[in-house]
Amino acid sequence: MPHIPTDSDVYEVFAQSGHGTALSHVGSIVSPRPDAAWHLAKETYGRRDDLVKLWVVRRTDMIVSSAGDRDLLAAKTRMPYRQPGFPTARRRDRSAAPPAVAAPPERRDSGLTERRDDAREPRLTDLWLALADDLFVLGNRLGERIVDYIDLEEALAVGSIGQEALAHAGTILVLCGFDQPAVDARFFDRAQAQWQVSRVVERLTDWPSLVAGGLVIAAAVAVLAERTAEAEPGAEWLSAISAIRDEQLVHLDHWRRWARALAAWPETRTEFARAYAEVTECAGDMFGARPQSQGQGVPAAAPPAGPALAVTLHERLAVLVGDNGGPGSRLPDGPRTRTWGVGGSALADSLSRGRAIRDHYAPGVFS
Amino acid sequence: MPMATAAGHRCYELWDPMPDEVREGARRFAAVQALNELVGVLQYVEWLDRAPSHTRRQMLMAKIQDEVGHGHVVARVAEDLGMPREQILLDYLEGRTRIHNIFHYSFATWEEVGPGLLLTNSAAITQFQSLAKGVYLPYARALRKVEREESFHYQHALDLTHEILTHGDAEQRRRVQEGFELWLPRILAYLGPPDTDTLHTNRMWQVGLKPDGNDEVRQAWLNKIIPVVRKLGLHVDPALVRQAPSGEWEFEMPDWAQVKKVIANGGPSSQRRLDWVRNALDRNAPYRRALQGVA
Repeated sequence: MPHIPTDSDVYEVFAQSGHGTALSHVGSIVSPRPDAAWHLAKETYGRRDDLVKLWVVRRTDMIVSSAGDRDLLAAKTRMPYRQPGFPTARRRDRSAAPPAVAAPPERRDSGLTERRDDAREPRLTDLWLALADDLFVLGNRLGERIVDYIDLEEALAVGSIGQEALAHAGTILVLCGFDQPAVDARFFDRAQAQWQVSRVVERLTDWPSLVAGGLVIAAAVAVLAERTAEAEPGAEWLSAISAIRDEQLVHLDHWRRWARALAAWPETRTEFARAYAEVTECAGDMFGARPQSQGQGVPAAAPPAGPALAVTLHERLAVLVGDNGGPGSRLPDGPRTRTWGVGGSALADSLSRGRAIRDHYAPGVFS
Repeated sequence: MPMATAAGHRCYELWDPMPDEVREGARRFAAVQALNELVGVLQYVEWLDRAPSHTRRQMLMAKIQDEVGHGHVVARVAEDLGMPREQILLDYLEGRTRIHNIFHYSFATWEEVGPGLLLTNSAAITQFQSLAKGVYLPYARALRKVEREESFHYQHALDLTHEILTHGDAEQRRRVQEGFELWLPRILAYLGPPDTDTLHTNRMWQVGLKPDGNDEVRQAWLNKIIPVVRKLGLHVDPALVRQAPSGEWEFEMPDWAQVKKVIANGGPSSQRRLDWVRNALDRNAPYRRALQGVA
C-alpha cells in the first residue's frame, strides 16, 4: 500500500538539467524551515550544471509507493498484450504456422482442477469458473465506461480495472486447464443456458449498480483467492492467484471510495442506497456455483452447494462487503445457489455481440 | 544548453514568460488534440464488445484506454494553460470546436477496422513526431508519451489486418482491400489542405508550434505507410496514390469543400458522436459532482 512518510523536515529535490528532458529526482535535504528548503537544495544539488528547473517538495506531502507495491507497478509483466512487441510476435508466429484446420479447444487437468470424490459437491474449481464468468462480463461492462467521461482520471482507472477483470477471467481458465482456443470457446461460443453467472451480472447497467457490483465481485474474488491459497500452500499456481487477489483488493478499495462518495453526496445518496441494496441482495450467490459436470438444467432446489465451503466463503465476503462505510448491505445470511441461464438481457446482448463477427468466420481464424 | 528548436525558435516551459501567441496557440493545439482523442476513440469503442477473441478484446480495450489517456495528458497541458477540461467537450457540444474529418465516420465492417486503424495510427504518429519538435515543451513531452503508446496501436492494427488477410476468406479479404481504399483518401484529407506555398505566412509555423507543413507531413506518412501496406498484401491502386520518379507521392486531391462540410458536423456519424458525448455528460453529472464534492 502506498504510504505517507513521516519525517517532516526532509525535502525531496527534483531538477531538470536541460530543456526537453524530464525533471529527475536528484536527492533530498534536511531543512528545519520550509522557506530555506529551496535555497539549501540549490546549494546542494545546483552547484555544477546549469539547471532549468529546481523543485523541492516536503517528503510528508508526498504519497510514495512501498516495496510491496512493486507487483502492482509491473505493468509490462502484468499486461504483456499492450506492448508493441505482443501483436508483432503474434503476427510473426501465425505467419510461420498458419493453421490449416483449427485445433479443437482443449481442457486438460492442471493447476486448479481437482479430483472430486462427490460429483454433486461443488469444489473450488467450480467456484472459480463461475467467478471467471462474472469477471468476464464485468470487464466488458467497465470497458464501455472508459468513454463515459465521469472524469478523465476515473475513465483511466475503470479502463485498468476492466482490463484486469478480463485478464483474471482468462488466467483463471488457464489455471483450470483451458488452452487459448478453449478460453475463447468458453467466453464466446457457449449459449447463455450454459452460463452460471451471478444474479449481480444482470444489474451491471447504471453507474451506482456497477460500483456496487464491482465491489462485491472484487470482494468475492479476493476471498476465494485467499481460501485457495490456504488450501494448497506452495502450489505452483500460487503466485498467479496471489496476483489476482492483490489486484482485486485494489479494485475493492477503488469501489469502496466510490461507494462512500455516492453514499455521502445528497444528490446520489438515495439512488446509491437502492442500487447497493439490490446488488448485495443478489450477491448471496457469489459462491453458489454448481458442479460444472452436473450439466445444465438442474432444478434450483436440487443439490445444496457445498455447504461448509460456501458458508465459510460467504462469511468472509460479508465482512468485506459490510466494511465499506457506505449504506447497509442486504447480503443474505447464508449462501445462495446459482442457476444456469441467468444474466438476463444484459448477458444475452453481450453474448450476441460477441458472436457477431465470429459467426462469419471459419473456426480458428481468431486468436 | 538546448534552449531552442532545430529551427532556431526559443522553447518554453509552463511558467516561462512567453508571447501570448505561443501560449494561446499551445493551449489551442492541446485542447484540439484532447477533443479529438476523447471523441475519436468512440469509433473504436463501438467494436469493443464485438472483438472476436479474448486477446483481441484485451488489446482493443488497452488501445481505447490509451486513447482516453492521450486525451487526458494533452487536456492537462491545456488546463495548465487556462483551458478547463470541462470546456473542451462543452465547446464541441456547443459548436465552437470541431473534430477532424476522420472521426465523423464509423466502421461499417470488422474488416474495415484493421486498415482504418493502420492508416489513422500511422498518420497520427507522423503528425505527432512533427508537433513534438514544437516550442512548447510540456506539449512536446506529452506527445512523446503518446507516440510511444501509438506504436503499440500501430502494431495492433497491423496484426488485426494481417489476421484477416492471412486467415479470412476471399470475401473477407476483399473487404479489407475496400476498407483501405475507403480510408486512404480520408487520411490524406485529415493531414490538411496543401500549404507549401503559404506555410511561411502561417503564424503557428512562424512562432514554432507547427514545425512542418501539411504537405511535408503527408509525404513523410506516405513514404512510411505505403510500403507497409504493400507488404501486407494489399493492392495500392495508382489512381489513388502513386510515386513520381522524383520520389514525391501523387494522389487524387481531396474535395476540400466536401471535407469542410464533413468537419462542420455534416458527416455520416457526426450526430451520433455529439449525441454520445451529450448523453454521457448529462447522465453522469451527478456522479461527477459526487466525486468532486466529497473528494
